[in-house]
Amino acid sequence: MNSEAFENHILPVKNKLFRFALRFLNNEEEAKDVVQEVFIRVWNGREQMDEVQNWEAWCMRITRNLSLDRIRSMTRKRTQPIEESFNVKNYGLTPQESAEHHESMERISGLIAGLPEKQRQVIHLRDVEGYSYNEICEIMEIDLNQVKVNLFRARNAVREKLMKIDAYGL
Amino acid sequence: MDSKKIEELLEKYWDCETTLEEESLLREYFQQPEIAEKYREAAPLFRYFGEQKNKTINDSAFDKRILPAATKKDAKVVHLIRNSMRIAAGVIVLMVAVWFMRNELRSDQVSPEDTFDDPKMAFEETKKALMMISKGFTRAEQETRKINLFNEAQKEIQKSDSEKSQL
Repeated sequence: MNSEAFENHILPVKNKLFRFALRFLNNEEEAKDVVQEVFIRVWNGREQMDEVQNWEAWCMRITRNLSLDRIRSMTRKRTQPIEESFNVKNYGLTPQESAEHHESMERISGLIAGLPEKQRQVIHLRDVEGYSYNEICEIMEIDLNQVKVNLFRARNAVREKLMKIDAYGL
Repeated sequence: MDSKKIEELLEKYWDCETTLEEESLLREYFQQPEIAEKYREAAPLFRYFGEQKNKTINDSAFDKRILPAATKKDAKVVHLIRNSMRIAAGVIVLMVAVWFMRNELRSDQVSPEDTFDDPKMAFEETKKALMMISKGFTRAEQETRKINLFNEAQKEIQKSDSEKSQL
């Protein structure tokens, strides 16, 4: 692989890697650092690239490992969730509706952040990034059964909380 | 898409039996502004997923920073060439400086008359030099004697003062 192939094939996945790292780290700068490190690792390991069947999943796996390493090495408290800016232009909402929308997006962000780590990863990989179960197995280095169990638990935990919020405004 | 289909898909979704295509259908469906009341718990979730997917690295300089950093080997070659040019320039400057200094020193040096071959002459020269120094010393001694005058005068004054006080 030369730097041109790197630029055309590897670099475009940066946003997926970034979102995945962000899921762990909750901090954009840290997530960007992780993505940069992933790219350096990929470049250094480019000789093995031919053996890798799904290099995107491979990049995602490195992102996951580096993010987990970073969390472990961070003795400091987890950073506050970043002020996420949600795109509300598409809906043509009134200011009040837009505030409500923003609030509900933040609530869901909080719900997902509150899930156990594996569930959080699985639901992100499946529902945000749209990976197949097999790809998720590869990225997370767990078996198919565990992927399904974690996804089931994650979706239902979120659903339950959403129903509670809907019913009691909690 | 009719609401029955949506309901079916949603049930499958909660049971984790939907395919990727069906899930993207759901995401698409919930992007529209008018959503039936009964899907109120699901709609924000799918909207959230859709919006998360649009989240990107919000930094235009990121690629520029990442490429040289990641593809270091290429960058290293460039650096090596650049560095060797720097070193060569430094060496040239140093050599020119040394050459000029040597020239300068050579022209400044006044080679003294050689006395090494004749010991008598060398002795005479040394004697002359030592005499010159000794002459300087004697003259200086004469001058310092004058200062002694002051000391003596001071003693005299002190003496007369003490005599006065005794009286």
